[in-house]
Amino acid sequence: MKYLKIENNKGHYLSQLNEWTEIDKISKEDLMYLLNNAITDDFEMDEYLEESIGHKAHQIVYKSIQEKFSELLGNKNVFKDECDSLFKTAIEKYEVTEEE
Amino acid sequence: MKKIDLHIHTISTVSDYHFDFDLSKLKEYIEKLEIDCIAITNHNTFDFNQYNTIKDNLDIIVFPGIEIDLERGHLLVISDNDDLSEINDFSKKCKRVNNLIETKDDYITLDEFKDIFPNLDKYLVIPHYHKKPIIKPKVIEQIETLITAGEVSSYKKFKTCIKDSESLVPVIFSDSRYFSEMKNFSTQQTWVDLEEITLSGIKSCLTDKQKVFLTKEEGNEFFRATAEGLMLSTGLNVILGQRSTGKTVTLNKIHNTHENIKYIKQFSLLQDDAQKFEELLSRRHSSVSEDYLKEFKKVVDSVKDIDLKQNEVEIENYLNSLLKFASDNEKADAYSNTKLFSENHFGEKDLLGLKKLINATVALKENTEYKTIINRHLNAKSLESLELDLMKEYIEIEESNLKKDWVNTLITKVKDELRFRTSSSIPTDVDFYRTLIDNEKIKKFITIVNNIKSEKEIDKKEIRGFKIVASTKRFSNASHLKKVCSRQISLVPAFNKYHEPYSYLLALKKAEIEDTEIFKYFVDIEYKTLNKLGFPVSGGERSEFNLLHEINDALKHNMLLIDEPESSFDNIFLKNEVNELLRDISKSIPVIIVTHNSTVGASIKPNFIACTKREIVNGEIEYKTFSGFPADKQLKSVDGETIDNFEIMLNCLEAGQDEYNRRRNQAYEILKN
Repeated sequence: MKYLKIENNKGHYLSQLNEWTEIDKISKEDLMYLLNNAITDDFEMDEYLEESIGHKAHQIVYKSIQEKFSELLGNKNVFKDECDSLFKTAIEKYEVTEEE
Repeated sequence: MKKIDLHIHTISTVSDYHFDFDLSKLKEYIEKLEIDCIAITNHNTFDFNQYNTIKDNLDIIVFPGIEIDLERGHLLVISDNDDLSEINDFSKKCKRVNNLIETKDDYITLDEFKDIFPNLDKYLVIPHYHKKPIIKPKVIEQIETLITAGEVSSYKKFKTCIKDSESLVPVIFSDSRYFSEMKNFSTQQTWVDLEEITLSGIKSCLTDKQKVFLTKEEGNEFFRATAEGLMLSTGLNVILGQRSTGKTVTLNKIHNTHENIKYIKQFSLLQDDAQKFEELLSRRHSSVSEDYLKEFKKVVDSVKDIDLKQNEVEIENYLNSLLKFASDNEKADAYSNTKLFSENHFGEKDLLGLKKLINATVALKENTEYKTIINRHLNAKSLESLELDLMKEYIEIEESNLKKDWVNTLITKVKDELRFRTSSSIPTDVDFYRTLIDNEKIKKFITIVNNIKSEKEIDKKEIRGFKIVASTKRFSNASHLKKVCSRQISLVPAFNKYHEPYSYLLALKKAEIEDTEIFKYFVDIEYKTLNKLGFPVSGGERSEFNLLHEINDALKHNMLLIDEPESSFDNIFLKNEVNELLRDISKSIPVIIVTHNSTVGASIKPNFIACTKREIVNGEIEYKTFSGFPADKQLKSVDGETIDNFEIMLNCLEAGQDEYNRRRNQAYEILKN
């Protein structure tokens, strides 16, 4: 599913209300929403190309955010492995079984 | 038969506590304990002049020796005493040892030892064997002389070595320091089957377990319990005596003469207070709690510094600075217009997972125990190339990380330079990866806390019919938390958040609970002792349980002393539980029971009995001890005096023969009929 796209010379993001919004309107909560989906969902986005965004401010914001997400997605498997091993022994040790 | 003590300290070194040597005390010790031969063995030092003074002042044979710190263990090296030039040479060697030891933690290596003592055959060499700090068997093997004897620290270990065909010949010595204020002399010496004392004679005796003994005439079934000469069995002993005849005094004396003794004093086990009893149980079984919460502690350590709010603030700062920078774009100058000004840092790739994978591959490749199974599925060659490929990948990522790190440093530097020259604000950076990992950690932490709070039984132990059950229990209020908090602070605000694990964690930190203690505040571990019927124990049963626990615990010690167990227990319990247990334990360590209860004294079937008596001689109180086998008609004192055993038994255990007969014939018979 696509979360960041370039359209009409401007950068856009998919908000929590499932609406495409211009990138310079992005809030902290929106960013958190994207962040949580980046790992759990099939996260897609348009590559940043300077010539495809005319608006200078949009260029700066889209580029920065797209780069950060792109790097995070590059580490998706590392993240998955790290999460899987996180507190594994403790989780198994204290797991509440049906009988209890 | 000769009595030897080849481990004596006369100089206070860095390895000792401070003491001022008193030759007259050493003399008194030798005379009182009737010792035939000693060796002076100070830590890593030998003082020739002092040796001469000691030797000249004693009428017995004194060997020059040294106790060396070798490879973190202790080793006695004892030289012959008849050739002055030999002692001189020994003294020079000891000086070399001394030069290598400056603090109590220093030791000499095996190589250094071999260099100083190239020819050990002329000495008697005795390692600490079953005595701390031991010389490891691996080191003993490498010492180039025949070592046949090893020093032990207790009669129990002495007897074990005698029975074990693989073990060295045991020797037991006082290892004492002699100073004017010392009150009790050690009774730990070894008897050797020798007519005349020479070093070679002792060496020869120490090759044969049939030639070393704990006593002169009674072999290894007895030991000298007090310096005054009271001999007791290495098995089960009962000390009888009427009130105020010195039973407890004798027990105290034995306690002070020997080391590592379990001494259960009179009334010490009474346990009326249920809460105190639970505290005692928690202390005793603290390893159960520690073990159960060990993994949880690691989790808490890992999450205690996570600040989710701060993470959000960082994201907000990043976004605000980015948006501001973008909107200020029109005002941008030549400095802020540079690409690097708004550039993000590269994130570095974590190598932990790959490292684990490489280690796992290496473990598969190098395992010899399951080699056949592993190779049935994965041949050695493909494991080799897998390891190689993973290593290559590791090096590549590592290289790229280093490059990224280099670029990141450069970006920071350039940004810093630009910032000073422009009016535009610089966009801050944020680590999305860490933010997500932190979120994940807290999520899992919450799951773990909720699970840990579900109440369940976590451990069950059984001690002779009693069950000790450890269960987890939710904290019920702020004062319940006081159980784990030793400080006087209010925990009410923290406890209000108990149902929300992360908020609770923050509240505990706010209440200034030490980081290393936080893990204890999530769930309580409660200990309950149940009796044979499965019900919580009563006050009397608590005391019984305590006694059984203490007696069981005695096996970790060299000897067990019990003063009047009947003072806290009823006869049925003593007969059914305690007597049997004590008999069992006396097979491993000497057990000495003071009693005037017939259930203990007469039914326990001791190996040996002693009886104390108080006499007034010339206006002075004198305590005397008589001893013998239970079936002996007479008990004997050290100076040969005798008393009637039967009379003693009836006087001490039954309030005299008349009363015994009256009770048996009148009280019990009438009831029976």
